[in-house]
Amino acid sequence: MARYYLHINNGGGYSEDTEGQELPDLAAARMAAIEGVRSLLSEEARQGQLDLSGTIEIADADGNILLSVPFSDAVELRRQDR
Amino acid sequence: MIERHLLKLRARDTVSPEEEQAIRDLIAEVRTVPADHNVILAGTVLTHSVMLLDGIMCRHKDLSEGQRQITELHVPGDFADLHSFTLKRLDHSIMTLTPCRYAIVPHERLERITERLPHLTRLYWFTTNLDAAIHREWEVSLGRRSAISRIAAIFCEMKLRFEIVEMTDGMSYNFNLTQTDLAECVGLTPIHVNRTLRELREQGLVQFRSGRVTIQDCDRLVEVAEFDPAYLYLEKWKL
Repeated sequence: MARYYLHINNGGGYSEDTEGQELPDLAAARMAAIEGVRSLLSEEARQGQLDLSGTIEIADADGNILLSVPFSDAVELRRQDR
Repeated sequence: MIERHLLKLRARDTVSPEEEQAIRDLIAEVRTVPADHNVILAGTVLTHSVMLLDGIMCRHKDLSEGQRQITELHVPGDFADLHSFTLKRLDHSIMTLTPCRYAIVPHERLERITERLPHLTRLYWFTTNLDAAIHREWEVSLGRRSAISRIAAIFCEMKLRFEIVEMTDGMSYNFNLTQTDLAECVGLTPIHVNRTLRELREQGLVQFRSGRVTIQDCDRLVEVAEFDPAYLYLEKWKL
């Protein structure tokens, strides 16, 4: 287990994660980021808008950015052309 | 030791000196436990109830993949499981979210109260109904409120519940939960909670930092939460 900090960077600004979460590895941290983005987007969808331009930056306890997860990685968009 | 419990009860009804003594005599033992400690596991056969003296506990249920829903928070002065007196096992678990001190109340002593003191018995019945009212309010939040409104509602509820037991300092109170704990209360992810806390902060409504809540604009917070304290049954309080 290690502590990962999931900072949010999107249209609304930057939300620093000052607390972090204990997770088994970076893959689990990426999954937490994906689930977090899905939760954010589901709220946006209810209000009739989706902004996929943000990223979640996953950092370690020393502040090194380990991975940047684009919001667009969290959902698969399908659209039928007419 | 039971002062906060008495404050909670007296916010709703009178407690006579005889009843007060009977409540003092309920306590068989006091235990101190760390944060993240399982106090009661769902399904265990129980012969005592737990009265919280210090710290914050929660009722929760967990799904198979580890997702946890916290269904109620408990503050000092609450019985965490007075309902186990009649249910004898719980369909949910109870754990600590901060270090806690709690009293063990044997069910046989509660039984004696039901035989001897009908008014206190009704008052205890009232408190289990109050827990049910809190559950209903959380149900409305989880089913219908937006993320910002859910979190605002928790901050409003906890402010009142801490105020009743004299644990607030004006518009602020200690609330030593992590953002993950808060996410498990409101059915969101920690990331969503983090973003929503930023919104609340930027709108100048409330700050939640280092385990402390500071309400900056109570009227607007109540409005965002659609918080109506009627479900806490405080008509008699502070009169």
